[in-house]
Order: sequence, then C-alpha cells, then structure tokens
Amino acid sequence: MKGFKTLFWLELRRSGVWALALIGSLAFWAWGLYQARGVEGGDPAEVHAILLAMAAAIGAIILALMVGRLRGETRGGQYQLLLLTPPSGAAHIAARFTFALATGTAYYIILGGLAWWSLRMMGTSVDAGSAAQLVLAIPLYGTAIAIAPLVAWTLLLMVFISAYRISGTGWIPGVVMVLGTPFALRWLFEGIGRVAYSLPAWPLLGRLTSASTFLPAAGDGSPPKAVVDNVIQLSQEPVWIMLALTIVFLVVASRVWREVEA
Amino acid sequence: MLASLDRVTKRYPRADGLRDFTVGFPAGEVVGVLGLNGSGKSTLLKLLAGLLFPTSGTVTAFGGPPRLNRAKLIYLGENDSLWTWMSPKDAEAFMRGLYDDFDVARYRGLLDSLSVPQRKTKAMSKGERGRLRLAMALARDAKLYLLDEPLAGIDLLSREKILQSIVREWHKDETILLSTHEVAEAEGLFDRVLYLRDGRLALDVGAEDLRNQGRSVVQAFREVLG
Repeated sequence: MKGFKTLFWLELRRSGVWALALIGSLAFWAWGLYQARGVEGGDPAEVHAILLAMAAAIGAIILALMVGRLRGETRGGQYQLLLLTPPSGAAHIAARFTFALATGTAYYIILGGLAWWSLRMMGTSVDAGSAAQLVLAIPLYGTAIAIAPLVAWTLLLMVFISAYRISGTGWIPGVVMVLGTPFALRWLFEGIGRVAYSLPAWPLLGRLTSASTFLPAAGDGSPPKAVVDNVIQLSQEPVWIMLALTIVFLVVASRVWREVEA
Repeated sequence: MLASLDRVTKRYPRADGLRDFTVGFPAGEVVGVLGLNGSGKSTLLKLLAGLLFPTSGTVTAFGGPPRLNRAKLIYLGENDSLWTWMSPKDAEAFMRGLYDDFDVARYRGLLDSLSVPQRKTKAMSKGERGRLRLAMALARDAKLYLLDEPLAGIDLLSREKILQSIVREWHKDETILLSTHEVAEAEGLFDRVLYLRDGRLALDVGAEDLRNQGRSVVQAFREVLG
C-alpha cells in the first residue's frame, strides 16, 4: 500500500505523545494495585479486579479519543493537506488503525502482565502456560472483540463527520452517530447473544492454584490449596463477528475518506 | 487544456462560492486570480484541486476529475496547514514518502534560497512557515500549481523571496494559478489575469493585452472591481 510507511510515521509523530501517555498511565494502575494488596476492611482481590477493569475501560476511552480527535486536524488544514496526497483513503485509514491498534495491544498486554502480578500478590500461583495466556491471549482476545471494532468505529465516525464539515453541518452526523452508538451496541450484544455457539471454545488459564482458608489442611501439614482447572473458556464466535465488523467499518471509512470535502 | 471549469456553480449553505463559471487553463501560463474577499478565488482553486465538488457543472483536470489526478497537481491552501512538530527535515520525509515527483535536491535548494530555518514550525514566524510550505510545494514536479494566497500576512522581504522562487521554479509546460491580494507586487508574474466578482468571472484578460492598452493589472483591478 503506497505511502503506508510514511503515513504510519506521521501517525507516530502526530499521536506518539498520546500513546506514550496511555502506556505510561499503567504505572499509576500498578501503583494502585500495589497499594491495594493489603487493603483493610475489604477483599484485596475484589479491589484489584475493580482497578484492572477500570484500567481496561479508561484505556479504551483514551484510545478512542486519540483516534477520534478532530480539533486541530481539520481546522488547522492538515486534513486538507492529507486529502491531496496520492495514497488512497484505505492507506490513510489503515495507517491510523494500525497505529491505534498497536498502541492498544501494547497497553492491554502490559495490563495482562499487571493482572498476572496481581494474582501473584494475592498468593495465587499460575503455571507458565496460564501466565502466558493471561499476559498475551486474554489481552489479544479483548483487543480483537473490543478494541479493534472500537477504533474502527471511531475512525468511521471521525471521517463521516469530516465529510460534512465544509457545509458546517458536521454536528448532525456527529450527534446521530454518538447518540446511535449505544443502540447499535445493544443491538450488537443482543445479536451476539443469539448466535449459535457451535465452534469449540478456547480454554484458558489451565491451572490456578491458590492458597485457601476454606479447605482442610493437607495430611502432610502443608497449607491448604484450591486447584481450579480451565477457569476461563473463550468463545470463538464473538472474535469472528467483531473482526468482520471491524473490516466493514474500515472499508466504509476508507470509501468515505475519498469523498470528504476539506 | 490542462484544467477547466464548465458552467460550474458551487453553492454553500449561506452563499454562492461560484456562479455559472466557465474557464479553461492551457499548459504554460501564470494566471493571476484576483478579486475582493468572498469573490470566489479560494473556491475556484479548491474546485480545481478536487477539495470541493461543484453543486452543478463539471470541473476537469488532466482530462478527468481533479481528485483522481491529485498526484499531478499541487494545491497550496491559505490555511497554515503544517503540524507544529514538523521541521523542514520532517517535511522532507513527509513529502518524499507520499509524492513520487518530489525532488529532494530542489527542496533543499529552495530551503536555502527562501532562508527557511531548520527548526520546528511552532518556533517559526508566519513568513518562515509560508516559505517552508512553498518550498514543499515547488519541490514537486507537477504540471498544475494552485497557490491560494501564499503571500497573505507575510512580510515584504518574504513576499519578495516567494515571488522570486515562483519565477525561478516555473517551467514553460507548467501552469500556475496564483490568488493574491498583493496585486501590485505580483503583477509582473502574470501572463493572464482573472478578475472575480461575487462568484462570477468579471474579466479574463491577458496581462500583455492590458499593458498594450496602457493599463496595469492594478488599474484594471480598480476599474473592474472598484
């Protein structure tokens, strides 16, 4: 794809600070997890789960803001400059999508590492395979079913709004798409819930062994342990559905890019 | 004909940009696009660049829709459209990666002759940024140059350097459309002048014809648009 390398470099220069700030923010969450390891009057595991969920959600929001920020992009004229470049709309969209996805993937892999660290702090030992899955497979699964479509949708939203900016009516598609997003998500989740789950699920976290206060001590006097096999089963279907949607969003965004008036 | 507009009207929500506008541009001339604010100069250039679509009529560049031939034309917009982090070196990487016809040696020569400093654009003056943008544009080997107000808000010395560069870099098979309010300074450049008023073509005349009539481009400007 002609120009992709340069456009990716441009994206790195344009949004590199955002990406670094996003990944750097994980230091804050790591600090939070460390502080919560011995929380009084509460379950540290529960606090850790909440912190990790918050980090995941806020990361997705910041990523969407990074991709979708329009201010300084069209008013300053850069968008106009890019519209005049020979690379196709697909190259422009692909460069932005790839950069955002790479940033998101790095963020969630490190977050997976924090989840593994959290388990260690809670006294749960994880075998090597499960640790790898926690750090790699689950973040990649999450990226495929949530981050990739979110980034693609945001790009489509941004380009669609841009298409109407010259006539000063960019707010109309903006409002329609922003208000419509919750309904689209609801429809999507309902649709995914109705899918016939026939493909084999991916078993993750083969073996977790955690210290337990609920089990009787072992005969040899060693601490009681709870062993859980196949803690998580990940369905394949949502991955394929969301990846297909991502491709559709990207194709439409590329097509709209070609039609955008600066 | 390198580019043309055939009965083009461009309507905005609150005003008409151009009205029933017909004009053609053969290869090898420098055309001044002159008019008061809101006369349609920028609309004309944006239509030729493919940045706007006409409400009615046909715009053609290189035998087809301008947008499909954007690799062959250069549009230098009136917006200060450079990223603040961009240095002349970054601009070179940007242009070289996206345009096959970008000539690095020519670009570096232009940076020298236009006295563009090697620092980020956020640390440049408006004139320096304008000169950098012009160096980026003129370092390409295109056939149609659409320069929208490259002299606006720029100091006298920078304006002189820009005009000298345009003269020096122009080749006989290239067409330049230059819109400007600095009519007196630029008039020596023009082979032909379009005077626009309220989105219509008020006068399309050869600069030499004006001179033969004993009128300057500025005088005609006052007569036609005053």
